[in-house]
Amino acid sequence: MDDSNPAIQFDERGQCNCCRDALARRPSEWWPGPEGEMRMAQLVEHLKERGKGQTYDAMIGLSGGIDSAYLAHLASRQHGLRLLAVHVDGGWNSEPAVANIESIVRGLDIDFHTHVIEWHEMRDLQVAFLKAAVLNQDMPQDHAFFATLYRTAARFGIRDFLSGVNFASESIVPPNFGYPSIDGRHIRAIHNLFGKSSLESYPIMGVWEYLWMTRARRQLTIHRPLNFIQYDKQSAQAQLKTIYGWRDYGGKHSESRFTKFYQDIYLPRKFGFDKRRLHLSSLIVAGQMTREAALAELSEPPITEQQIKRDIKFVAKKLGVTPTELIELVDAPARQHADYPNNLHLFNASRDLKTLLRASFTRGKQ
Amino acid sequence: MRKRIIPVLLVDQRRRLVKTIGFGPRTYVGDPFNVIRLFNEKEVDEICVLDIDASPLGRSPDLGFLRELASECFMPMAYGGGITAACQCESLNRAGIEKFVLGRSASDLGLVRELASTFGSQATVACVDVANDSKATRHVVQAGRPGVSLNPLDHCKRLEDAGAGEIILQSIDRDGTRNGYDLDLIRAVAPHLSVPTVALGGAGEAIHLAQALHAGASAAASGSAFVFIGRLRAVLVSYPSMLHMDALNDSLS
Repeated sequence: MDDSNPAIQFDERGQCNCCRDALARRPSEWWPGPEGEMRMAQLVEHLKERGKGQTYDAMIGLSGGIDSAYLAHLASRQHGLRLLAVHVDGGWNSEPAVANIESIVRGLDIDFHTHVIEWHEMRDLQVAFLKAAVLNQDMPQDHAFFATLYRTAARFGIRDFLSGVNFASESIVPPNFGYPSIDGRHIRAIHNLFGKSSLESYPIMGVWEYLWMTRARRQLTIHRPLNFIQYDKQSAQAQLKTIYGWRDYGGKHSESRFTKFYQDIYLPRKFGFDKRRLHLSSLIVAGQMTREAALAELSEPPITEQQIKRDIKFVAKKLGVTPTELIELVDAPARQHADYPNNLHLFNASRDLKTLLRASFTRGKQ
Repeated sequence: MRKRIIPVLLVDQRRRLVKTIGFGPRTYVGDPFNVIRLFNEKEVDEICVLDIDASPLGRSPDLGFLRELASECFMPMAYGGGITAACQCESLNRAGIEKFVLGRSASDLGLVRELASTFGSQATVACVDVANDSKATRHVVQAGRPGVSLNPLDHCKRLEDAGAGEIILQSIDRDGTRNGYDLDLIRAVAPHLSVPTVALGGAGEAIHLAQALHAGASAAASGSAFVFIGRLRAVLVSYPSMLHMDALNDSLS
């Protein structure tokens, strides 16, 4: 990490509070040994027991990224769980992402459900968020994902969600950073202020539905099975390649072309933040990368000038603005999420929720 | 020549991509531009875009939208919906559309002749909609001309004689069912035409495409097979590789 965030402090050994915190959490969050095997066996047995008489034992999300795909392989092929895989299509899927989802769904022969968000609504909401100039621009995509997850679980009577969130590559989360995508009130407020059309089918989870789903019904328990194994993205990808014909598309966070723009261009340019730091620091904490190798990777910019031009052009065209307008939106002064109506106070208690939020925060990092 | 595999994209009044079942209930499939880009990267042979609301609403083709779409599209694009005159095809052609699909207006053989003489037969495509009646006899359904019962082969031959360079043979009963083409219909028509027959209606899997080609169609077209996957009919854009199609083809012969 570096000192670009005032909440990050370094001790006399040059270690920051994020890494110290992650190292302290490690023994209670990640069990890459015999204890992990035992926990995995217990979880599988528990899910099979709960799934008796039901169509599915658990639900997973499939984004087209490695974590969720490997998790599907692990749960279905290795442990024989009956899965329902869920995907939310926000209109930004890349070709490798859909091709890889296809290879996993066909290869494992698991049931698959997609929710397609009406593009004209999605576009209006995303432009509204850009105009709001806030940090979390992935919120329109992520909120739709959470809302769909809960509604699909309720529809199919599923009580357990297997999350691809894992300590090995995602343990580092800086304090006071990010904003919970689950806050439907915030979505509506920003859209009311800056949107042009109405949101009719976009899935907004309001506060009552949220409380009903999470506290009253306790619809979903969230599990993180990748923390029960020696999870290593490189070898996971190699296995997926051999078994399912997974295509290695080289780049990072390529599932959603918007997330790529957000992490490569919007965040560095508007907030001076390079999200690779989180991922690389996590790998160092997990013992899967050396600090020197990480620093060498960071010394290269995440994206070339030529790629920036190309991505700006692509995103602008898709959002129905000119490239100049998009650059103006990126370069406009940043605003705080707290400047807009929100329900942030509601979302601090639940552990499950924190897991989900972490998923959104680090989503797309490969 | 290798037989073609053609995704058919249905566009509605609000420029949304949808897919129907039996020409009826619609499922939203997504943003046409993103879907076209995915097909570009999948190196699709050609694509057919049908505006299913244009003719019923008596509207002309949505030129501005089609120009944008064609400019994004790397593969040859056919378009149908609301074409009633040759002058419209002039503008469509300038917008980058290479083939014109006549559905409802194909009953006007004069228009078929005019398009064929102006743009050539290769650009003139007739879409023939076929349904089973109560006695399971197949007949051509012509919107706006109920009660006129036509035999599919006779009708296709007339279109061919008028200059249509390609016939899309569509089964209404199979539309959106995803359980396979009406192979008997293909067998009854395709071998007797000298122009290519494009099978449409009923495909859900790559094997169905191979079956249509095996039954004599020159090309297999589908909406569902390239946008849905699995038992739950989940939206996911896909396109079979040449290798996969060759393997399926070998398994049939």
